[in-house]
Amino acid sequence: MSSLATMPSIEAAAGAKPLLSARHLTKVFHTGGQEFRAVDDVSLSVGHGKVLGIVGESGSGKSTVARMVMRLIEPTSGTVMFDGDDLTAKTGEALRRMRRNMQIVFQNPHSALNPRDTIGDAIAEPFLVQTRVRGSELDRKVEELLDIVSLPKTFKYRYPHELSGGQKQRVCIARAVALEPRLLVLDEPTSALDVSVQAQIIMFLQDLRARLNLTYLFISHNLAVVRHLCDDVVVMNKGAVVESGPTEAVFKSPRNAYTRQLIESVPRIPRPAS
Amino acid sequence: MTALLNIENYRLDIPTFDGVLKVLDGIDIKLDQGDTLGIVGESGCGKTVLARSILGIGPRNAKRVSGQIVFDATALDELSEAEWRRIRGVKISMIFQDPMTYLNPLLTIGRQLSDVVVAHHRAQGMQVPAKAERLARCGQLLEQVQIADTQRVLKSYPHQLSGGMRQRILIAMALAGEPKLLIADEPTTALDVTIQAQILKLLRDLVDRLGLTVVMISHDVGAIAALSRRVAVMYAGTVVEQGEAESILTRPRHPYTRGLLAALPDIEGATHPLEAIPGTIPNLITPPTGCRFHPRCPRATAICRQQKPETRSIGADHVVACHHAFD
Repeated sequence: MSSLATMPSIEAAAGAKPLLSARHLTKVFHTGGQEFRAVDDVSLSVGHGKVLGIVGESGSGKSTVARMVMRLIEPTSGTVMFDGDDLTAKTGEALRRMRRNMQIVFQNPHSALNPRDTIGDAIAEPFLVQTRVRGSELDRKVEELLDIVSLPKTFKYRYPHELSGGQKQRVCIARAVALEPRLLVLDEPTSALDVSVQAQIIMFLQDLRARLNLTYLFISHNLAVVRHLCDDVVVMNKGAVVESGPTEAVFKSPRNAYTRQLIESVPRIPRPAS
Repeated sequence: MTALLNIENYRLDIPTFDGVLKVLDGIDIKLDQGDTLGIVGESGCGKTVLARSILGIGPRNAKRVSGQIVFDATALDELSEAEWRRIRGVKISMIFQDPMTYLNPLLTIGRQLSDVVVAHHRAQGMQVPAKAERLARCGQLLEQVQIADTQRVLKSYPHQLSGGMRQRILIAMALAGEPKLLIADEPTTALDVTIQAQILKLLRDLVDRLGLTVVMISHDVGAIAALSRRVAVMYAGTVVEQGEAESILTRPRHPYTRGLLAALPDIEGATHPLEAIPGTIPNLITPPTGCRFHPRCPRATAICRQQKPETRSIGADHVVACHHAFD
């Protein structure tokens, strides 16, 4: 592995072979005859069981990276390696089989669920697409998953509009972990939620990671949440990585001017002394 | 000295198809001239309805059950629409969350700002100034919100400007009538964190420079703390705790305020384990009896289910509405 030497420091810190690594990812969008480099030569990696945060402001390209990692959009250039397999080279059936190992949870739970499907239908869908699980066994799986995300079993008969935002996000997480993926991509999963509900979801994600041995790629503009949840962090600005490293190190002594500005911009809240 | 804004025992119902929403349940808020108040609460707590009621732009079918809002010795609820026109946008103005939605995409900033200047002159029965004078006034307003290249901005359309710039322009429009009171409803929520810091700094400067009185509404405790000297914490249509910001944030007495602050991850690092408030916000058609927070409250006892807690003073400028407030 001669290329190890050229990889960013964050990969060396991860030690063992990472579960996910993206190398030199670039995405160019063409708008009105003009080229727009949404993501420009981004490399990152996430070790097994780790949480990597990507922070940045709107337009920084963080969500585009998440979507390229999931192959929801095709990178213009660069590769995504998942557990040693080149994801970008896969197509058709091989790609479909890979997908069960990686799932994504989106920002807005209100638009991520089909309003005409019951919660049970939503959670059953991954099984219908990816497995031969049907009938009473499927029913049992759905109930198990509702249990994992701490929702009552009877919720499977409900429709999305009957649930609160936090409950819907739990359903989306239940659906994402249904096939026991190894990597969960979380794209601003708490940004549409109130702070007390956000705390519920963050604590739940921490607990879930330990229970299901998951690896997270966590996209957020909320620096406090990233500091709380992530082992390592990548800071993006205008499509490029400006700084990366262990979360504590980046937050305590940011080396990049933009990272410093970002951290200093967050209003500080006077805290109880205790 | 009488307060510039005095909201007393304000109750508001909103009839809906499913029943009557008891959306505000006895709000008491006082604010002196030149002071800043942050109203913080989660979605559905009634903070926006309250803010809009101050400006007389609440839901049309809303019914005031009791209480009144007094601004500058005028009872606002009794005003006719003609009288409102001399107050709304003139003595009290408002800025909103999403600066794009409130600007006309088809007109230049100069035209829209100039329209506001003209409207203010007409409303006060003054002669509408000539074009050159109007433009000068627009430039002046933009300078007030620290926009440097005023000529370019006046010729621009909204889509040519950034979100932060658009919010500055809305603030400039709000200042056109030289208001005494500015209501800012989530003014930084739609903005990136670095831009948010700039807008908060601008509002801070305006308070210091113009002696503006500000009521800021937000779910973001950080943004509230950055601007407000005083804070009111709302839950399910009630003010549960109110007073000096420092006192409330560092020594919260109400279990909901405590819960809210404990649920916030800290940018400075994990000084405390995150705590979630169990349960969800109540339905305001059939709100909980007694204290509206009792079903989610770790300290709730029988009395909390039966009796609405009185708001009592527990410090120089610190009141709390709880039967079992922390010491």
